[in-house]
Amino acid sequence: MAIFQSKNRKNNQILPYLFTSLTWCSGALIILIFIGLIIELCWQGRQAFSVFGFEFITSTTWNPVKQQYSAGVSLIGTLLSSCIGVMLALPLSFGCAYCLSELMPRFIARYMTATIQLLAAIPSIILGMWGFFILVPLMSKYVQPFLKQVFGNVPYVEILFSGGTFGVGILTAGLILAIMITPFITAMMQESFANTPSMLKESAYSLGATKWEVMRHVTLPWVQKGVIGGIVLGWGRALGETMAVTFVIGNAHHAGWSLFTSSNTIASLIALEFSESTAGSLKMSSLMALGAVLMMISFIVLFCSQLLLKQVLKSR
Amino acid sequence: MIHDETAISIQKVDFYYGAQQALKNINFDVQANKVTAMIGPSGCGKSTLLRMLNRMYDLYPNQHAKGQVLFDGVNILDKETDLNILRSRIGMVFQKPTPFSMSIYDNIAFGIKLYERLSSAQMQEKVEKVLRQVALWDEVKDRLYRSALGLSGGQQQRLCIARALAVEPEVILLDEPTSALDPISTAKIEELLDILKENYTILLVTHNLQQAARCADKVAFFYAGELVEMNDAAILFTKPAQTKTHDYITGRFG
Repeated sequence: MAIFQSKNRKNNQILPYLFTSLTWCSGALIILIFIGLIIELCWQGRQAFSVFGFEFITSTTWNPVKQQYSAGVSLIGTLLSSCIGVMLALPLSFGCAYCLSELMPRFIARYMTATIQLLAAIPSIILGMWGFFILVPLMSKYVQPFLKQVFGNVPYVEILFSGGTFGVGILTAGLILAIMITPFITAMMQESFANTPSMLKESAYSLGATKWEVMRHVTLPWVQKGVIGGIVLGWGRALGETMAVTFVIGNAHHAGWSLFTSSNTIASLIALEFSESTAGSLKMSSLMALGAVLMMISFIVLFCSQLLLKQVLKSR
Repeated sequence: MIHDETAISIQKVDFYYGAQQALKNINFDVQANKVTAMIGPSGCGKSTLLRMLNRMYDLYPNQHAKGQVLFDGVNILDKETDLNILRSRIGMVFQKPTPFSMSIYDNIAFGIKLYERLSSAQMQEKVEKVLRQVALWDEVKDRLYRSALGLSGGQQQRLCIARALAVEPEVILLDEPTSALDPISTAKIEELLDILKENYTILLVTHNLQQAARCADKVAFFYAGELVEMNDAAILFTKPAQTKTHDYITGRFG
């Protein structure tokens, strides 16, 4: 029997070779596309980078008439709105994930999970329209005045909630982003909740710990990695999200301390201005450079999170 | 020392996983300050019985028990039983070592903190006491604040026993505590049981008949959800009353 097998193997040597090279090719292709993207963005944006230099990132002017462009405002808008999104989504998805995997009866949890996953499948433009017609009026009528009333007299914090309550703005954009990334973070967290060894939880229960104590001291440390992974995934998506944000952020080239001010993000700025820029113009080049900046931020976020993850794992 | 006193009295107990019955009309008394071993082939219900005694099955909605388990005069299967207090009085050690991913010190302190607020000196003292009880102190005293996951399997399991002891239980349930350990670590744990039974009532589930013979005072043989025979270890292993017990301990099945 063994002899027959070794005979068969000799004939088949081409197939494994083919398979290996094909997988190599697909791996290499990804890297090529990736490098190509970076080079193309930087190349197209070279004009903007050379004209404005480092000021392209630090300055906040965007004046098509004077041919002055910069990334400052939209950079702040991007970071701020995505941070708000992550901060709002985090407790929400943690609650969802914990409830679904630990508290709810299994058959209800299954439907709930499906529903939450369905939320991820909603096209962002639909969420954008929903945000514009439903969320923005609600924000301007109730949420923003309420926040203003609560924080309006708190020193230092009040500045975040100053200005007109028009409903649009960074806060609303963050809220929409939170809704969009919650399913992703929830899914990641649910996964890691499910992976917590039940014997570990049982041993905490066997000491007489309550549900909360088990969650706090046993499950939570165990799911850290999944939670961080979820945050990165969600944040990455929030950084690049375009349509939904464009609808509700107000699209003003303006940076201020207030979370109620209209602003823009890199993605929304590119989406709006792209059709109004002629090929080869400085504006087009600036938009390309903006794209390069956005990509850079995504890398930095990813990179930092990997570092963080390593730190967490090392401390185990 | 008190002898022949009943610590837990199990009366007419049935246990169900959903619709499937796993224990059928179990009756037996667990004697205080003795090691009672439960043996039997896989799936015979011995672990199920063990997990019933600290109501671990409550974590899983489709499992339920009928009958009475009297502990300190109270039926612990009652809905009103305070599970946290029950579990602090009846501790448990699992098949595999289950240290939490925190320092050795914190692993012990975790259980204590659930019940008492101690000053750090008192806590230190208590941690040292239980670690000495399980003969682990000398091995870990220099690295108390390092992760418990860095210990060997045998050390981890002794740490888990220490963790269970720290909340001052009266009964300790051990669910195949040495099944994942090497022979030397196993021997250490068996020695430990011998010492611990002076102060605690011990229930031990094991697949290892030699272990049951070495450690146990009483042995209960389970088969297909029923308690076939229960007797002093010396009698059960030499002159079993039932043919099934005889067949099992002589290796005919299981």
